[in-house]
Amino acid sequence: MDHGPNPRLDLMQGTLDLLILKALAWEPRHGYGIARWLEETTDDALGVEEGSLYPALHRMAERGWVKAEWGRSENNRRAKYYSLTVEGRRQLGVEMSNWLRFVEAMGKVLEARPAVPLVAER
Amino acid sequence: MRNWIPDRYRELRSLVKRDSIDEDVGEELEHHIAMRTEENIAAGMSPEEARAAALRRFGDVERFRRETREIDRRMRRRRWRGATWQALGRELRQSLRLLRRHPSFAAIAGLTLALGIGAFTSIFAVLDSVVLRPLPYPDSERLVWLDSPVPGVAPEAVWGLSVAGYFYLKDENRTFGALGAYSRTRTNLAGVGGVARVDVAAVTAGVLDALRARPQLGRSIVDEDDDPGAERVAVLAHEFWTREYGADPEVLGRTIELDAVAYRVVGVMEPGFRLLDDPFDAWIPLQLDRDARPVNAHWLSGVGRLRDGVSLEEAQADLARLTGQFSEVFPGAYQESFMRGAGFTTRVTPLRARVVGDIDRVLWILFASVGLVLLIAGANVTNLFLVRSETRRRELALRSALGAERLHIAWHYFTESLVLCLGAGVLAFGLAYGALELLLALAPPELPRLTEIELDPRAILFSGGVALGAAAFLALFPLGRRLDYEALRESGRGMTASRRRHAIRHGIVVGQIALALVLLVAAGLMLRSFQRLREVNPGFEAANVLTFEVALPTARYGSYEEVVGFYRALLAGIEGLPGVRQAGATEALPLQDRHACALVFVEERPPEPDKKYPCIPKALVSPGYFGALGIPLLTGRELEWGDVERRTGAVVVTRALADRMWPGADPLGKGIRPNGWGEPFYRVVGVTDDLRADGFDRPPIEAVYFPPLPLEGAPLWSPPRRMAVAVKTQTANPTSLTPAIRRVLAELDPDVPLANLKTMGRVVSDSPSMLRTSFLMSLLGIAGGLALTLSVVGLYGVVSYVVRQREGEIGVRMALGARVEQVVGMILKGSLRLALIGVALGVLAALALSRLLSSLLFDVSPTDPVTLIGVSLLLLALSLAASYKPASRAARVDPTETLRVE
Repeated sequence: MDHGPNPRLDLMQGTLDLLILKALAWEPRHGYGIARWLEETTDDALGVEEGSLYPALHRMAERGWVKAEWGRSENNRRAKYYSLTVEGRRQLGVEMSNWLRFVEAMGKVLEARPAVPLVAER
Repeated sequence: MRNWIPDRYRELRSLVKRDSIDEDVGEELEHHIAMRTEENIAAGMSPEEARAAALRRFGDVERFRRETREIDRRMRRRRWRGATWQALGRELRQSLRLLRRHPSFAAIAGLTLALGIGAFTSIFAVLDSVVLRPLPYPDSERLVWLDSPVPGVAPEAVWGLSVAGYFYLKDENRTFGALGAYSRTRTNLAGVGGVARVDVAAVTAGVLDALRARPQLGRSIVDEDDDPGAERVAVLAHEFWTREYGADPEVLGRTIELDAVAYRVVGVMEPGFRLLDDPFDAWIPLQLDRDARPVNAHWLSGVGRLRDGVSLEEAQADLARLTGQFSEVFPGAYQESFMRGAGFTTRVTPLRARVVGDIDRVLWILFASVGLVLLIAGANVTNLFLVRSETRRRELALRSALGAERLHIAWHYFTESLVLCLGAGVLAFGLAYGALELLLALAPPELPRLTEIELDPRAILFSGGVALGAAAFLALFPLGRRLDYEALRESGRGMTASRRRHAIRHGIVVGQIALALVLLVAAGLMLRSFQRLREVNPGFEAANVLTFEVALPTARYGSYEEVVGFYRALLAGIEGLPGVRQAGATEALPLQDRHACALVFVEERPPEPDKKYPCIPKALVSPGYFGALGIPLLTGRELEWGDVERRTGAVVVTRALADRMWPGADPLGKGIRPNGWGEPFYRVVGVTDDLRADGFDRPPIEAVYFPPLPLEGAPLWSPPRRMAVAVKTQTANPTSLTPAIRRVLAELDPDVPLANLKTMGRVVSDSPSMLRTSFLMSLLGIAGGLALTLSVVGLYGVVSYVVRQREGEIGVRMALGARVEQVVGMILKGSLRLALIGVALGVLAALALSRLLSSLLFDVSPTDPVTLIGVSLLLLALSLAASYKPASRAARVDPTETLRVE
């Protein structure tokens, strides 16, 4: 697929987990499902290397945030479906609020104005 | 809980099938790429383009596959481990609960096993320390002992090395890395708080080099110290240094006085270092004189280290070659005719064989006997498990019907017996520790490597291994017949338990009785040997006799007159004490000292050249010696001080010697002399009765007893500076005279210590044949007692169980009119039959095996009928006694009660 007119954004470290948790917030999905959801929701703006989803998913399974089950996908293929565990849902809440606080703080910094107007005194 | 084994099974399969994770991950990633490819095709790409684009978007497939796989593997390992421990913990907890619920079963089974394993472990520790472990020297398997057998002189005669021979072998051999000689002496050490007797080894540097002795302080003895005339130095044993000098490092450079000769201390050996098995207190250089005369005095002990890659046979051949050259190199001393006649050669023996000697036979026998005890204990516990598993049959059949896998049930059994056996193992270790203490207390001091005996990690591993093996056996044994669903259908109180199960139990009891009989026969044979040994008339009277040793320093007691003067005064002083009957001195106290030997010729038969003459045991003795030791004279009289003063050359010979020298003739007045034939001759004035001085199990010795002063013109060897004194007292507690005797000695010469003080009774019980026999008798007795107890308990258990099983049948019989005596008789007959079969098998086994003991028996045949019959009757009687209680319980069965239950 072409990258289109907008260059894709590089993903920040540690945010992949949050994206995955969010993608699973309403329904179980398989890996490709997660990738498609992210693509649609962000207009394909995030530069996620799709393969990196899988180590992340398995690591989250190891931590007990998600659990995996084999099932049938839309076109009747065998696929592994991931869903959030209770622990995973809690983690989603924690990471979301962290992220929002971070965004807020970043916003404040980026929108900051000088405290004293810059007036040239001649 | 029931289904965790199947779970483990599945995981186990996935663990064994290594690529299951690979497949899963591969499938998952492939699904992703396939989906993306389909979508791309739907968007209008060609299939190739579509797949390429999908892969591009996916990134490095191999890398992600690898990372994902690693995560899964890690996860699986963790889960497997966690689940296994959890399950094991659960099973162990359950087993403990079960055992707690049956405390008497747990206690009896545990204790029985602990006894068996404990006995086995303690003897293994001894066997391992003494026989199996290498000697405590680096590369100890290269160490050898050198000596010279002379079968032509006497069948078992072995000489040491001569000085000249030693130097020749040392200089000319091609097979030894190091070769040395030593000689042991007991000397008086002056200095530390009076005088003490110490054991000193005079060694050449080669001995310590061969043994790789390392000094802890200072230096060892080196070649330069060996030169005659070099400064006299000494190296102390660590233990002696600690004991006598409080481990004072300042001891280096100090001077100690051994037999009035000064030695400078130059080193202290590392702890635990021993020369062979002797705990020497100090080592001094031997300082051999190459040209010493006579050339052929064989008084040295030889020790060597083989060169790397040289075999024992090569070394032997090398030394045989060199020894063969003796008659050319030392033409005067080793004539061809002597070499041929005596069969003289130089022999190498592995040092370990020399140290361990023939005790290994005794230890292997003990090991085998405790092995039998362990078998019997194991049989008892197996029986207990069998009985219990009968009662749990229905439960297990139910479980298995409900789908518990066979493996699971095995695991269940295993954890239960594992808990029991490990508990028993720990207890056994404690028992073994105690048993070892007891064993060391009983062990003859001659037991080699006594100080090395310990419960080492190998023994601990060993007992642990035996416990584990027992657990596995006990778990698997009942399993073979465990899962018959028939148990479900069978009524719980069926009158006839299956014949096969009875057969196994009966077989176990029969085997136990047979094994116990074998052990008891062995113990009985040793007991009989011991009795026979005690009945032997040694030819002296040990009662009320006190003995001790005195050794006079050469520096102050040079001449015969000085030495004899001292002993005469000492004996007179002791005889003056109240409570003393008589005192005498000898160079060779029976059972304790070996007689030295010499060629002795009689007047009637001038020596013929080329004729072999045996070396006759001899000793210098004081007047009064035969009286003090209660050695009766068959004819004539003993030496008197008058003989000594007038130098009459009176000698006393033993009956055995007189019989051989002058068969049929009166030995009194016959002429005899050592060191060459010719006038003047010593004259026989008395003949003792048979004297067994070499051991109760040895033939009476042929010996000559010379006076302490030589006859003019017929030299003896050297003045008898070291002598053992025997004091016949009027008390049964002769040691009470010790202080008075010490005072007498101190008044005569305060610098001469009194050593090795013992009653003669102690000398007798410490003699090797007595000790070996009593040691083996005690230990086999303990093993036999254990075996007897365990097998009688086993029989009791089985008979009780059978009676309980047959209560219904017995009730019916009694209801049908059987009398109490008939019922009791039936039970007793049953167990008597088992005992009889066991005894018969045991007797056969004992007849086959007791031959192994024959070299250790004394005057008792290995098939001694008294022992065999006695032991058999004992076992039969005890078997009947053990069955009597269960049988009388059978007699109390109430028929109405049983019939109602039926």
